[in-house]
Amino acid sequence: MFKRLKNAVLFAAALFILTAQNCMAVEDWHLQNGTQDVLKKESETQLKLTNTGVKILNSNKIDERIVFAYDNTEAEKKLKLDKTLINRQIVVYGYDLKYIEDDNELAAFLSRRIAEAYRSYSGAFNGRLSSLKIKAAPKKYQIVFDKIAVDYMVKAGYNPVAMITFVNKSKVQKRTNSLTENLTSKRLAIIYEYIFTKYPYYLKNNEYFFNENYQNFLLTSQNNRKMLEEKIQSGSKEKLKYE
Amino acid sequence: MNKCILILTILMLFLSPAQAEITEDFLVESFLKNADIKKPYIHKEYDYESTDAIPLRIAVKDGIKSEKDLYEGQTVEFIVQKSIYENGRIKIRRGDIISAKVSTVITSGMNGIPASVIFDSFEIKNAPCKIKPGQITDSLEIFGQDRSYFVFPLKWALTILPPTGSLTNFIMGGHVKLNTKKILTLYYHPKWL
Repeated sequence: MFKRLKNAVLFAAALFILTAQNCMAVEDWHLQNGTQDVLKKESETQLKLTNTGVKILNSNKIDERIVFAYDNTEAEKKLKLDKTLINRQIVVYGYDLKYIEDDNELAAFLSRRIAEAYRSYSGAFNGRLSSLKIKAAPKKYQIVFDKIAVDYMVKAGYNPVAMITFVNKSKVQKRTNSLTENLTSKRLAIIYEYIFTKYPYYLKNNEYFFNENYQNFLLTSQNNRKMLEEKIQSGSKEKLKYE
Repeated sequence: MNKCILILTILMLFLSPAQAEITEDFLVESFLKNADIKKPYIHKEYDYESTDAIPLRIAVKDGIKSEKDLYEGQTVEFIVQKSIYENGRIKIRRGDIISAKVSTVITSGMNGIPASVIFDSFEIKNAPCKIKPGQITDSLEIFGQDRSYFVFPLKWALTILPPTGSLTNFIMGGHVKLNTKKILTLYYHPKWL
């Protein structure tokens, strides 16, 4: 009786160990495959970032080193030091990448950051003073970098209208932070005016005209565009106070 | 039966979301639709193997000030101050006119941050030989007087006496003033594409 019970217990234990091992092996296999998939995807994203970024650098004769990195963390984990001005490393977080639909929008995102990083090279104390100025007057430089980014995009063969669609869908319209950031609608209007005066070709032959985000921009920017229309009709050279 | 299907199809076509409103861009319709606009220059081909760079000294044709004279998109003319030769052949003559566009005007700011003007789209008029856009410096930024050199140290020195340090915020940077004697330097890279 005791022997039978002992055998049954041993059998059950062996069965349990075998099943557990099998389960772990299957889990390991899934985990390994999952990790490989994630790594493969991250590597592909990194390659795309680097290729697009370096193309912008080369087309615009940017003679300083700037590198690109992909970091798959979300917005809540994003409270890290911005490495653009210090390390000249452009980090694209998973959160930013969510809004990017095509190569032009990726170029828009990278061009803006390249403009910022490149400016941190020039000026006194190995560019430290320039970086300090950017930090001291963020609103002013936000507009400047938008404009420079549009130039970089065009020179590298990307469509600058993508800057409008990208900013329109990814930046919030908040007033509370008015000391450090421009109102997004104002930024968009300035980008539009810049493209309209300097690169009208892209508005005349607008690939993004039927894009939902571009249509949304047209819908929400009617007052600002009317101001621009009046400026053009009057021949004025004054800077417009967009809302 | 066939008629019903036909009517339903026509109705669906007219009422489908594809026929939803499209907001027209009235600015493009009014000002760009009939204009003859060329595609901007794209710099896709490059070869940066050569390190040859010849300084191209220029000076503005008429004096300018950033506070009132300049606006974005304006054409400004520069005069070449010294001829450039390549293999004994003249490439750019002294006195040649180089036109440029005012790309961005950055106004002077608080904390002594100077105004600056970015010029781009440099184009040599009547050059003896053809010069590709990729061979000349893309853009040139000219700064006003930078007072941040003393504003930031002063601000930090005054932090022990609050709020006097904050008062340095109100020191504005200088405007850009370019006179005809001020020599600016572009670079000509003869072997670049």
